[in-house]
Amino acid sequence: MAPLRSLVCFCEGVTTEDVDRALEEGFRDLESLKRRLRVGMGPCQGRYCIPMLISYLSRRLGVPPERLAPPRVRPPLEPVPARLFLGVGDEG
Amino acid sequence: MRAEVVVVGGGITGVAVAYFLAERGFERVVVFERSYLGSGSTFKCAGGIRASFTSREHIVLMKRSIELWGELSRRLGIKYARSGYLWLASREEDLERLKRYSSIHNQFGVSTRFVEPGEVEEMAPALDTSRLVGALYDPLAGKASPFDAVHKLYLASREMGVEYRFEEVGKILVEGGAARGVASSGGITEAESVVVAAGVWSRQLLEPLGVSLPVEPEPHHAALTEEYGRLFDPLIIDLESGAYAVQTFHGHVLMGVEIPEQPSWEPGERLAFLSKVVRVWSKWLPWLPSANILRYWVGHYEVTPDHHPVLGPVGSIENLFVATGFSGHGFMMGPVVGEELASWVASGAPRTEEAAHLTLRRFEEGRLIKELAVIG
Ligand SMILES: Cc1cc2nc3c(=O)[nH]c(=O)nc-3n(C[C@H](O)[C@H](O)[C@H](O)COP(=O)(O)OP(=O)(O)OC[C@H]3O[C@@H](n4cnc5c(N)ncnc54)[C@H](O)[C@@H]3O)c2cc1C
Ligand code: FES
Repeated sequence: MAPLRSLVCFCEGVTTEDVDRALEEGFRDLESLKRRLRVGMGPCQGRYCIPMLISYLSRRLGVPPERLAPPRVRPPLEPVPARLFLGVGDEG
Repeated sequence: MRAEVVVVGGGITGVAVAYFLAERGFERVVVFERSYLGSGSTFKCAGGIRASFTSREHIVLMKRSIELWGELSRRLGIKYARSGYLWLASREEDLERLKRYSSIHNQFGVSTRFVEPGEVEEMAPALDTSRLVGALYDPLAGKASPFDAVHKLYLASREMGVEYRFEEVGKILVEGGAARGVASSGGITEAESVVVAAGVWSRQLLEPLGVSLPVEPEPHHAALTEEYGRLFDPLIIDLESGAYAVQTFHGHVLMGVEIPEQPSWEPGERLAFLSKVVRVWSKWLPWLPSANILRYWVGHYEVTPDHHPVLGPVGSIENLFVATGFSGHGFMMGPVVGEELASWVASGAPRTEEAAHLTLRRFEEGRLIKELAVIG
């Protein structure tokens, strides 16, 4: 029986099969998986899928989840309208 | 195992050098990357590609690089588009500058041309042209996806037998005036040649060997909006501020501009950047204030005194090569640098005469290269 497609990242439609393929290609850290598969790069910025991905990788690679540090979240954490930056922090 | 070539650094330069070495038939190439591929400057870059420079070296090498971008994109499926560069002048003095640049480009066979507001609106429907005094278009220029480029060069080179080790190189080993390998966290790897492609950090690797690399880590910032449908095809540059903006393959707008900065190994985030970049681009993109900023980051340009790279043999140590100092253009140069370094390692000479002008020796001999148009 074909394995069930199971969705890891809802925003970008990434499945565990995609993750498995990337692992075979040698992408074994979260930063690379993010950029190879766009997992965690959607509108929710990985809020839902990164924890799931970490627990999946932890099982697949036999590494404790705390060793798979979540990717650095780049500021701003929440999408911020550009106008908020107009006229602030001007130094010249 | 004794490697033929060890490459230090897994950014665009390292993976491109490894790819072209493998293509030339090298069978034991080992790339060392201390973090993840692209984690240095490469994954922080805008992906812009052009040959419209104002030095012979940049123009000749970048014309070749653009040919290679086309080939690599066909062969490996790298996301790449010849979507152009468009320089926007809102003042007469900027238009005068553009005319000077354009005449140099045309002299060297890069056909940049001035375009009317109507044509600007076709290629950049989301741009407000009411302030436009003149616009220069470079149809040969374009963009590639940094993630896709690094990952596909990595996959293709791995397929051809290149080995990737995710370890930090602590030391380049030298014996009798020649490189003989590297010491990494995993032990010693002997090699016939060593190529240092470690970005701004190349300086720290070469310093203990008495090689001083005139490369400064200059902070450069970029911000990314959420995704949109088609807004503008070419990478656009505001000549007055030097700010650039490009719509990525996924539809985000990636923007950058220079702010006053000192060289720094650990640059910090700066509100002044966000403020300036939004202010400049809101003048051309009036909808920008209501767009959301998703991410913001800071990375490095690896800057040399003449804003040209340092390529080829180190000189004082045999079998030791370097490729860095791209001064803001290292992504676009990746393919040609890979090809030139592979030629240097294989045959002791570069493929293109102009590459030979760019060795470290020029700083000792005071033969610096003149570049009049460093943009963004
Ligand atoms: C905001 C911004 C926008 C830019 N826009 C453009 C653009 O549009 N077009 C363009 O062409 N260029 C652009 N650039 C410049 C471009 O990003 C760089 O010139 C280019 O990425 C350099 O690539 P590299 O592979 O030489 O170095 P890097 O990408 O820095 O790679 C060096 C690698 O070496 C590794 N390393 C370092 N020391 C060691 C060690 N001791 N052992 C093992 N590994 C080590 C690092 O981890 C790193 O991955 C931009 C840069 C920035 C910051
Ligand atoms: S679920 Fe993955 S980015 Fe939103």
